[in-house]
Amino acid sequence: MGDLEYVGKRILRKDGPEKVTGQAVYTVDLQLKNMLVGRILRSPHAHARIVRIDTTRARQVPGVKAVITGKDTLGVKHGFVETPRYPADQYPLAMDKVRFIGEEVAAVAATDVYAADEALRLIEVEYEPLPAVFDPEEAMKPDAPEIHPTHPKVKEPVMNIGGKTTSEWGDIEAGFKEADYVREDRFESHLRTHGYLESQATVASFEPDGKLNVWTSSQGPFLKRAKLAKTLGLPFSSVRVLKTYVGGAFGGKVDLFSHEFCAALLSMKAARPVKIVATREEVFTAFKHGQPLIVTVKTGVKKDGTLVAQQYRVINNPGAYRGSGVVVIFLAWGFAMPPYRIPNFKYEGYSVFTNNPVRTAQRGHGAPQLRFAVESQLDMIAEELGLDPIEIRLKNARESGEQLPNGDNVHNCGLKDCITEIARHTDFHHARGGRGENSSQRYKKGIGIGVSSYFGGSLIYPNSSSVIVKMNDDGSVTLLTGALDIGQGAETIHSQIVAEELKIPMDEIQVIAADTETTPVDIGSWISGNAYVCGNATRVAAGNVRKQLLELASQQLEASIDDLVLKDKKVYVAGSPSKALTYGELVALSIQTRRGDPIIGEGHWRTMRDEPTHPSLATTKGRWTENYAFDAQTAEVEVDTETGKVRLLRAVTAHDCGFPINPLLVEGQIDGQVSMALGHAFMEEIMMEEGRTLNPNWLDYRMPCIRNIAPSEHIDVITEQYTVGQPYRTKEVGEGYVSAILAAIANAIYDAVGVRLFSTPFTPEKILRGLSIYS
Amino acid sequence: MRTKPSKRLLELTINGETYELAVEPQETLSEVLRNRIGLTGVKEGCGTGECGSCTVLVEGEPVLGCLLLAVECERKRVETIEGQAEEGVLTPVQQAFLEKGAVQCGFCTPGMVLASTALLKRRPNPSEEEIQEALEGHLCRCTGYNKIMEAVLHAASSAADKR
Repeated sequence: MGDLEYVGKRILRKDGPEKVTGQAVYTVDLQLKNMLVGRILRSPHAHARIVRIDTTRARQVPGVKAVITGKDTLGVKHGFVETPRYPADQYPLAMDKVRFIGEEVAAVAATDVYAADEALRLIEVEYEPLPAVFDPEEAMKPDAPEIHPTHPKVKEPVMNIGGKTTSEWGDIEAGFKEADYVREDRFESHLRTHGYLESQATVASFEPDGKLNVWTSSQGPFLKRAKLAKTLGLPFSSVRVLKTYVGGAFGGKVDLFSHEFCAALLSMKAARPVKIVATREEVFTAFKHGQPLIVTVKTGVKKDGTLVAQQYRVINNPGAYRGSGVVVIFLAWGFAMPPYRIPNFKYEGYSVFTNNPVRTAQRGHGAPQLRFAVESQLDMIAEELGLDPIEIRLKNARESGEQLPNGDNVHNCGLKDCITEIARHTDFHHARGGRGENSSQRYKKGIGIGVSSYFGGSLIYPNSSSVIVKMNDDGSVTLLTGALDIGQGAETIHSQIVAEELKIPMDEIQVIAADTETTPVDIGSWISGNAYVCGNATRVAAGNVRKQLLELASQQLEASIDDLVLKDKKVYVAGSPSKALTYGELVALSIQTRRGDPIIGEGHWRTMRDEPTHPSLATTKGRWTENYAFDAQTAEVEVDTETGKVRLLRAVTAHDCGFPINPLLVEGQIDGQVSMALGHAFMEEIMMEEGRTLNPNWLDYRMPCIRNIAPSEHIDVITEQYTVGQPYRTKEVGEGYVSAILAAIANAIYDAVGVRLFSTPFTPEKILRGLSIYS
Repeated sequence: MRTKPSKRLLELTINGETYELAVEPQETLSEVLRNRIGLTGVKEGCGTGECGSCTVLVEGEPVLGCLLLAVECERKRVETIEGQAEEGVLTPVQQAFLEKGAVQCGFCTPGMVLASTALLKRRPNPSEEEIQEALEGHLCRCTGYNKIMEAVLHAASSAADKR
């Protein structure tokens, strides 16, 4: 990658010192003068008509300054997706019906939490319970209670369909006929949640001049501003969402939440700031978790392992409103088609309403569930054909330059290298069957592999980013970006890019970020596009500044631009370092000679700049992304055949993320995802019964702690590069490594003890049951 | 209707400074530190003692601020994350967390740093098992704990190098 000084290096995070000293301010930490405490009243019923609400007694509690119900709102709906096909479908406060336990019905703001809770107790709500349904396959049946009418574009006689995605190419029936071996399997994933350490929180302050200032724990301020403005009936310019640090999000803080709306409306009514912080119990019971998928996959192969046909039926359980349900059934398709060549393909995905709390994106957004299914089945097929897992994957893996059926190109694809490298690194073939040591022991070892693909910055409208780089009089720089750090290190990597383009030390770059008033737009940190989309915008803005510096220097030093070198905040003539001008001098020169103009650079970037719009969520037609990241992951496990417990001994991730802008941050992302997958595989499950959460706390929803540290190794497969002044195509690293590892674990368990698991989590009960079948 | 309990005067010593505050008897140490004194480096992730974010040091021992009543801490030496760095100079543990990439969103970080600091004072050369025992009550969702383990080991060994 040439002589890079900053990009590609293990630079320490810019916001690290603030975080280790406790100076970093998160939304939960904010205290404004005269601030009120807000609390939300939630439905105790999974499905009911609201007959009557009376807030009279609540309003009389001393200290209560405002009480709101649906009637106090404009009745404007919002949704994760808001398109003509999938219009917004959820009120911020319920109007005539509630559709899940925990749905927001009213909110109060008071001088302290005791008064607020007292007021909640005194709000009288009369409900007329309605029949409810919680399982998606039950909800599709003709006699199921109707939560919402089935989408008008879905013509089948099925109930409660929020959306459907279909995709097809080739001839699926002919494909299956051509195959030597066909099998169909059903896989189910379970309900799990993000587990961000900082709870959901919002502070809203409506100023006397009509400006609404909002601080909220989110994944991007611009989306929040848009949805708040819309539901509150305020112009965008009246709503400002300011930056706070975010204590983790993982997909759970993207779109509008009721408490954000309520904090704002309560503030407008009380004329005082209002802070609402969800209790941890509220987060577990009423907030948005990940989406369980039922994946039925039928695959046909030739006897040499070549994939000929693959057919999918995916059923989602997004809860009582559409949420991101219609996105995840599109994405499940998106995770099915990149890694392998599939000549004949058919996909159907259904997003089905149930009377559960609304679900949302969770890291991987469908990939963990989908790849678990596909990669488990592929191992079963390999075994049937007498092929090994590495062989069958290499046979079908995509290569650089391949065109995908949706018109995208995989460009530089390192998938085969990921597979061969990981096989070599783990001595995969020898490691199988516990290296031959498994025969008569209690503890049996096994190894498994999984493969996945993820997109980097897709064309969900309007995934663009704009950045401004301002040069200060002393030659230092201020970087204005809408990008939000949610832990991944956004401000650091953008500073690295500026540092590289302008040859300025990292501590001479001041970052102003994520403020809808002062920083340019960025879609937010939830579409795996920060490094690629915002990063390129940063590069363009910095490049613009570099161009101005070079032009000024060229004039002053009477040298051609090609003979000029940038280094240490100076421009000098190559070979004559004394013929130099500092950046400070160049700023002064600009002002002197360019009619007072300082040096400011602007950069804009969007993925697939020539495509008019995003692909159709329903038909998948249209270009989707120009960046496909690929990875292979292995898991080595030890199964205790007496208790069914499984230990993850070693996880290896071979990843084609393009190139790492900051390898230290990349490693951290991989480690975190392996840990999350470990939790997903063995420990975490939101248990629900009739719409009620049974384990709403961290003692009973067990996330990995340091005792569960997973030995995590990384293999870089570098397929792209960074050149100063050139657009770069790096991929993504924040969401892609939580998927293949799940299948790798399932395949490793099979290798160890011959038990095939078709659902997550991989509980001791399931393993013991499988063992008893074979004993 | 709730009757407000009467406040009582409480003297607390936090990060070497003495504060005289009027607190209600049921206020937790976390609440007093965060809301009355403004030390928001003391985090709150759950309020029920399950996540470790609210960890502070009382008489040098890591304790959960959300489960302690403020009144229990009278005449006890309380330290929060804000009291660690002196005049902007990071402690070896803080520095190690930075250098090893053990900080992502940063929410668990104050608790992790304090618990690690207390451990290293007690056991300057801990084993991985001892580190796990000291930090098992701290949830982190971002790092998978790999780099946190590296940071504590590094802080221990670089302090040993200096001795």
